Amino acid sequence: MAGERGEEGGEEGDPNLKKRAHAARSRLIVRLGAFLVSHSALVSVVCCVAGFITLFLLPVLAKHTYISENALMPGSANPLFSSQDVNEANRFIKGIIHKRIEKEEAGIELQKFIGQSIADVGAEVHYHKFSPHTNHFNPLHFFSSTSNTARIDTNNSCASFGVNTVGIIRAPRGDGKEAIVLVSPYNSQNMEYNEALSLGLAFSVFSLLSKVTWLAKDIVWLAADSRFGEYNSVSSWLNDYHNPIFSRDSGNLDSISNDCHHWNEIRIQGANSNFFKRAGTMAAALVFKVMEKKEKGDRDCLTMYAEASNGQMPNLDLLNIVHYLAVHRQGLRVKIETMGSLLNSAWVKFTGEILEGVSRLSKSLNPQWKFDVTTADYVEGAATLASSMYYQALGVPTGSHGAFRDYQIDAVTLEFLPRFYLRNENAQSTFLLRSGRLIEGVVRSVNNLLEKFHQSFFLYFLTAPNKFVSVGVYMIAFALLVAPLPIVAAALFARAKANEITTDDCAEKCTPIDTKESEIATGSWKWLQAAKVLLMIHSWAVIVSLLPYYISHMINLNSTMSMLTWVSLSISTLPFLYALFGSPFSLNVEWELLKAVMVATISIGLGLMSIINFSTAQIGAMLLVPMSLLVHPLKAKMNVNALLRAALLTCNIAFAFLGFPPVALLVAKGLSEGFGKLSIGDFWEWMEFLWEWNSATYLYLLWVQLPCWLLCIHILLHPCSRGDSRHKQ
Amino acid sequence: MAEIRPYWALAAAAALGFRVLLLILFPGDLHLGSRPEVATPLTSLRRLSEGYWLKQSSMSPYAGSMYHGSPLLLPILGPLTAERTDGQPAHFYCSLLFVVVDFVTAMLIRATGQKLLLSRRQSLEYLNLPKLVKNSANINAGDLASLIYLWNPLTIVTCLGLCSSPIDNLMVVLTIYAACSRLAPLAAFGYVLATHLSLYPAILILPVILLLGYGPDAPPAKLFLHKSSNSDGKDPSNNDESRSAVTTHKPVRCFSRRPVVHFMIWVSIWSCYVLFLCSIYLKGLGGLQEMFKKTYGFILTVGDLSPNIGVLWYFFAEVFEFFRNFFLIVFHVNILFMILPLAIRLKHRPCFLAFVYTAISAMLKSYPSVGDSALYLGLLGLFANELADMQFSFFLFFGYIGVSLLSPVMHNLWIWRGTGNANFYFATGLVYSCLQTVLIVESVSTMLKHDRMLRKHVIA
Repeated sequence: MAGERGEEGGEEGDPNLKKRAHAARSRLIVRLGAFLVSHSALVSVVCCVAGFITLFLLPVLAKHTYISENALMPGSANPLFSSQDVNEANRFIKGIIHKRIEKEEAGIELQKFIGQSIADVGAEVHYHKFSPHTNHFNPLHFFSSTSNTARIDTNNSCASFGVNTVGIIRAPRGDGKEAIVLVSPYNSQNMEYNEALSLGLAFSVFSLLSKVTWLAKDIVWLAADSRFGEYNSVSSWLNDYHNPIFSRDSGNLDSISNDCHHWNEIRIQGANSNFFKRAGTMAAALVFKVMEKKEKGDRDCLTMYAEASNGQMPNLDLLNIVHYLAVHRQGLRVKIETMGSLLNSAWVKFTGEILEGVSRLSKSLNPQWKFDVTTADYVEGAATLASSMYYQALGVPTGSHGAFRDYQIDAVTLEFLPRFYLRNENAQSTFLLRSGRLIEGVVRSVNNLLEKFHQSFFLYFLTAPNKFVSVGVYMIAFALLVAPLPIVAAALFARAKANEITTDDCAEKCTPIDTKESEIATGSWKWLQAAKVLLMIHSWAVIVSLLPYYISHMINLNSTMSMLTWVSLSISTLPFLYALFGSPFSLNVEWELLKAVMVATISIGLGLMSIINFSTAQIGAMLLVPMSLLVHPLKAKMNVNALLRAALLTCNIAFAFLGFPPVALLVAKGLSEGFGKLSIGDFWEWMEFLWEWNSATYLYLLWVQLPCWLLCIHILLHPCSRGDSRHKQ
Repeated sequence: MAEIRPYWALAAAAALGFRVLLLILFPGDLHLGSRPEVATPLTSLRRLSEGYWLKQSSMSPYAGSMYHGSPLLLPILGPLTAERTDGQPAHFYCSLLFVVVDFVTAMLIRATGQKLLLSRRQSLEYLNLPKLVKNSANINAGDLASLIYLWNPLTIVTCLGLCSSPIDNLMVVLTIYAACSRLAPLAAFGYVLATHLSLYPAILILPVILLLGYGPDAPPAKLFLHKSSNSDGKDPSNNDESRSAVTTHKPVRCFSRRPVVHFMIWVSIWSCYVLFLCSIYLKGLGGLQEMFKKTYGFILTVGDLSPNIGVLWYFFAEVFEFFRNFFLIVFHVNILFMILPLAIRLKHRPCFLAFVYTAISAMLKSYPSVGDSALYLGLLGLFANELADMQFSFFLFFGYIGVSLLSPVMHNLWIWRGTGNANFYFATGLVYSCLQTVLIVESVSTMLKHDRMLRKHVIA
């Protein structure tokens, strides 16, 4: 970066003077802009460094969470969940274990048992049948916003469908327009004891809620059959909930289900139970699971998962009430995911120590300043923040709560980790009591809501279960990183224009430029040539991003072969486009203009991505911004000393290497898991994972990162012949 | 000039082929017709088919505040929207019709460009500026403008987006073309229909009269006066060419009344005819009064506050009810205020004036869509020679790209994801208006600078 500064300072004398002379009589805002543009190198160095520093300071800048919506009133009522309900849960668990042992090859016995129990409580019950659907690559999904119409695969055999059991309590004080959803996933084919426990917990809460008088929102309990994955069952239930099938289609559904005799069994049993029942708009959803603990701890643990698709988060208030009730009422320990490798990382610890030193210094200067940082806090916060960012950036939901967010419903997954081994009866009872009271409390709180969650943040990172960085704070780091881009683009553009003006007279006399070029390259529209190159490379990127759709339809390709096919096809399309539009080198575009255009697109691309999925944009910007700002043709002359020049060249080559998405991924993977296990197919698998979940990160990588990397390579290899001849003249 | 020409037919055919290809590949997947950027309450074809259905069942097409367009569009486009024949998706033939309409518009723009080029060359030759003539010959503005219009993504989106904007645009371009060629009846036809369809082209009356009266764009009249006084006073000793130019092309910059009067007569004839047709069509269904209330009234009172890329919906959603009329007047007068000063300053360039008016109305109209931008961006290409030195072109280009990508994302964030709110979407609308303002201001100032440059050349 320093190299660039020197290099720009050397060349920029002439346009500066001109600009200043012109600026003297122009408006203030234009003058300010001109000032920034003329010092673009300094501005970009300062902004980039400040951006990185702010990013590392984020764990320090985190605030404590607070409950923003007054209507929630968590913990204001005494919990009604008592040992009687625990007994009920135990009875249910025993029953379900009994069913499982009784019938080893379980059909839908479990579902029937759950349904029967729900009916006994006095609630409505129905069974929801769904078939697994594999996620398909759909590149247009994000913008087309198609409502998922029900897809019915006609060739389903009997064995391959799952059955969810749904119980609905109609609220005595509600109008049936709103509902709260409880989800407890379990595997109907191979049920573990912990799943039985979570079902028991859900049932006991459900049976308690069926008796209470304060309910203003309906309660829906979804016992999700997770034999095809938790997410799958929940999302297909939600899809059917929100997209009703009308009579014309349902006849079709009947004809399929007729040949399945399990399905008929249920149908006979309950008169109405195969009708899809609904209960109004969902205000919030809680997914809870009980996990088996491997090692002993001093308290029961609760882990919250909140990340939904494309980095969306539920409203912070939902997490707040869970945290508040769990910690201050039930005495659970609340955790969220952390990135384990950062906890032991030396440089994070080092940064923490520096910050601690700074805080001690500031305290000695003025004890009033509240700048308290300890190394342990910082490391913990940084690790949590990193994992929060990572899961958001991936754009893939961390659990079945992600399915709810697609319908604008706030949902969170609560994973309980009991202190003792599960089979311990006493411990199990106290555990059930605590977690049951927690869930009851959360339901009661949400029940108080008058509107949907809107008071607190939707855009935030968590650095601890009770600490968050809001959008207003974390935007700063990103904005600082991206701010130099338009300025540098303007500076490069101005410089190219100045070159044009100074050499205009000579050009007319000595070098007759061929007419075709001068046709467009006159006046201020000269950059259109560069825009043409940009258009070409971006259309190439679009083609590359669509290729996997066809490759994935080819049979018998393992990931390495697919990856190789992808790469070779991508490379072979490039010459075609060159032939069609003319290659960037033959078009004779100045590299300054090419870089200006590239930097402008990067700023648009990053700006867009920061709205779609902030974390992806943030992580991408950390790589892309230095790469694009530093890039400089290898052959161009620089009026700087050899050391700076060498540093600039090394940086350029390193970034050109790292900026290629597959290389970046493989290096990241190698660093975290060791370089021994790497293979070329890894990138393909990763991409497959992304597009199966319709992650916008895939589009970012192929529509922003890849074309910009290719443009950088073009600039690096730019022949610079015209520029040199200019300098001679 | 010879540079674009060989490729023009190819490029135009490719643009049309691209549209048809998109139409066949994505019959119903794009959902462009439901995008607020593309289809407004005035132009949406979905609303039009609703109006057509109402008319078919002998009700007023304006019942229920669904349709707000012209009644004349109903019998033309209505059958195309209603029929679903031979397995083609709905609106397929309508979209094909719009492809043809786009092509005709592009041809008219091209013809206008050639007229402008001719007049420019004549006047420059008269002013004895052979160097400028030679330079300007490099770009054939008509070809360029028509290609810009055809390949502009906004035009393509409008064409496939199931809205009637292509027809509105065609009428505006037809007016300008006919006025350039001094065809008073045709100009009157285009003008009346354009006004009838979308009201705002009414302000084009000034440029049309100027075009009919003075002829197409030329440098300021003062230069001609200066030149002729110079050549009268002292004989230009060195240049025979210029003298021949003087003798062949007399500077006819005096106002000729005849075509203007013709135009006025034809306007009254055509408007009576259009109103007559409308009244026949709406006979017994509310008649003309209902039509005026539901079309022009709807435009002027900003009755539909659903979000669009303009700025009025947000403002009128927030404003107190008792200030509403006041601000309605303020916003509409805003357009009218700009008409006269611009007309005085740019009276020697009526075509450019028409471009500025379309851009201003596209920015300030009550239900703007990208179709309006497509129109003025296409017209902008006509002045490629004069605007060659325009500032901020780079900034504007990337600004337009950025906003057109940002707008759907913000809309998605607000409507579908629920994590954003109306301010997010409105912010892109504001940025868009700013870009348009910069475009207008810069193009006008560049044009004035160009005239000043000419003057310097003439006087020097």
